[in-house]
Amino acid sequence: MALARRMDEAAASAASDSARRGTRTLVWRLASVGLFCTTWEIAGRIPVNLAFPPFSEVALAFAAMLADGSLPRAFLVTLQPLVLGVGLSAVLGVVLGVAMGLRPGIEWLGAPVFIVLQAAPVAALVPLVTFVYGIGLASKVIVVMLLALPVIVLNGYKAVRNVNPSLVAMCRSFQGTPAQVVLKVVLPDASPVIFAGLRLGVSAGFIGVVLAELLITPTGVGDLITYHRAVAEYAHMYAVIAFVIVFSAVTLAGLQRLEIALFRPEKRTA
Amino acid sequence: MKRSMLGIAAAVAALGMALAGGARADQTVTVAFGDVPSVESLAMLVAFERARERGVTVELVSVEEEDIAAQAVVSGQADIGIGTPYAMIQKVKAPIRMFLQMSVLRFYPVVNTEFYREWKDLDGQEIAVHSRGSGTEAIMKLMAQKHGIAYSSISYVPGSEVRAGAMLEGTIKATIVDAANRRLLEEKAPGRFAVLPIEGVNATDEALYASTEFLTEHAAAVDVIVEELLKVAREVTADPASIVKLREQYGLLPDLPADLAAEIEPYFAESAAAQAFPANGGSAAAAQDDLAFYGLAGQLEGDPASLNVADFWDFGPTERAVAKLGQ
Repeated sequence: MALARRMDEAAASAASDSARRGTRTLVWRLASVGLFCTTWEIAGRIPVNLAFPPFSEVALAFAAMLADGSLPRAFLVTLQPLVLGVGLSAVLGVVLGVAMGLRPGIEWLGAPVFIVLQAAPVAALVPLVTFVYGIGLASKVIVVMLLALPVIVLNGYKAVRNVNPSLVAMCRSFQGTPAQVVLKVVLPDASPVIFAGLRLGVSAGFIGVVLAELLITPTGVGDLITYHRAVAEYAHMYAVIAFVIVFSAVTLAGLQRLEIALFRPEKRTA
Repeated sequence: MKRSMLGIAAAVAALGMALAGGARADQTVTVAFGDVPSVESLAMLVAFERARERGVTVELVSVEEEDIAAQAVVSGQADIGIGTPYAMIQKVKAPIRMFLQMSVLRFYPVVNTEFYREWKDLDGQEIAVHSRGSGTEAIMKLMAQKHGIAYSSISYVPGSEVRAGAMLEGTIKATIVDAANRRLLEEKAPGRFAVLPIEGVNATDEALYASTEFLTEHAAAVDVIVEELLKVAREVTADPASIVKLREQYGLLPDLPADLAAEIEPYFAESAAAQAFPANGGSAAAAQDDLAFYGLAGQLEGDPASLNVADFWDFGPTERAVAKLGQ
């Protein structure tokens, strides 16, 4: 009885400890954001450069662009090639990566291509893409895929390659069929790394879509960035850039949480 | 010991400067250009060579975009920039002034004759221009105003050559291109495209600008550059073929491919006929037109009549040059 009470107390104090730690982390994080914004404000007021507006002006420009709907509209346009490109890359990338990990023949064909692509300066390849696919949506999707696909494929490939061999041996010794080895052992064991690849692919996709919109034809946020730069409305330009960065950071943080919840039980409490 | 070394170094530096600033106005001026020098820049390159002969060495730096050139001038990394930094001057109060109108915008609205023949036909139709806030967009908007029409939408396709290619492929039916690509369209598909008339567009395409500080402190060097640019503008307007000889004489653009080299004479003949190179480097009246035009392009805010030309232009250098060279 006494033992049970003591255990309850211990659990309660651990919970309040972790809650306190959570609040403290939040406070520090907010302080860090505040410090960043203050530094930005001061740098903008000095000013570091005539074209570098203080944080307050950028915030006002952001509010104005939200109010007149130009930013949400542009962002919807940008989401098209992003979602298409990342979606196609995810499906194609996981299938290809797993296939490369399982079959040496496919690995032999595919690995060099994706290793080269991952190392290639894609911005320099964008004009080539426009020669073949023109200047429409197709080109932008291809650019997003050029950035997102290699990292997804290579992560999938490495994940399958690094599956615990004793698990595979165990499945075989229990007379598992090759299909069962793949479905019941290889894929579950590889999924954390595959998912990490998808997260990196999304992050690369953000880079790709902004590159495509800046280098091919200005649409969506790329149009807002080039237009506001051309007419010297730098606060608006930075507001768009900051919005893209924040959106991408929030998306990636969300994916990371999902990853931990799904695949990394050991990190859940950390 | 250290002190005396410093003293010697200072003396050497002072001597160097005294020698450099001797009889001629020997000076190096950095010019930031938001483009790569090609056929269209030949007249400017000739003028820069002649300025070098007069002791003002011009170092031309190509940057990616026109507004980066303006940034370079504002930050002092370049002395002179090329472009039309109206927005920079108005919106971030950059302490720079334009001082020479080097060329005026010469663009040609072209339509596919299967679908359209005149301005009225473009009412409610889609057109393609270079980019939002560009001169091409402003020309098309101005013409729409003049003809009382409205486009259904404007799409942005950067690069005259890209738009010309899309016209040939049939993916766009109405656009606006530069002289070289208008000729290309006429050669590749005679009769398939028509050029719509534009009247009264004389907005600045390329102007030289510098910080107000540079314009006062280095007036002599600026004067040399302005004089040489005006002289070349007048020469090529009077005799466009002369540019080919001048290119050979100064060995300019030696790596130009033969097909582009063949473009030189037609380009200058056409530009001269269209009065694309102002003989006097611009004027207050021309600048006033610019204010209205660039207002339409979205570069400038406010009623054009309320804007003051002197906030954007310094006509001192061109006035001195015209006084010296004659009208």
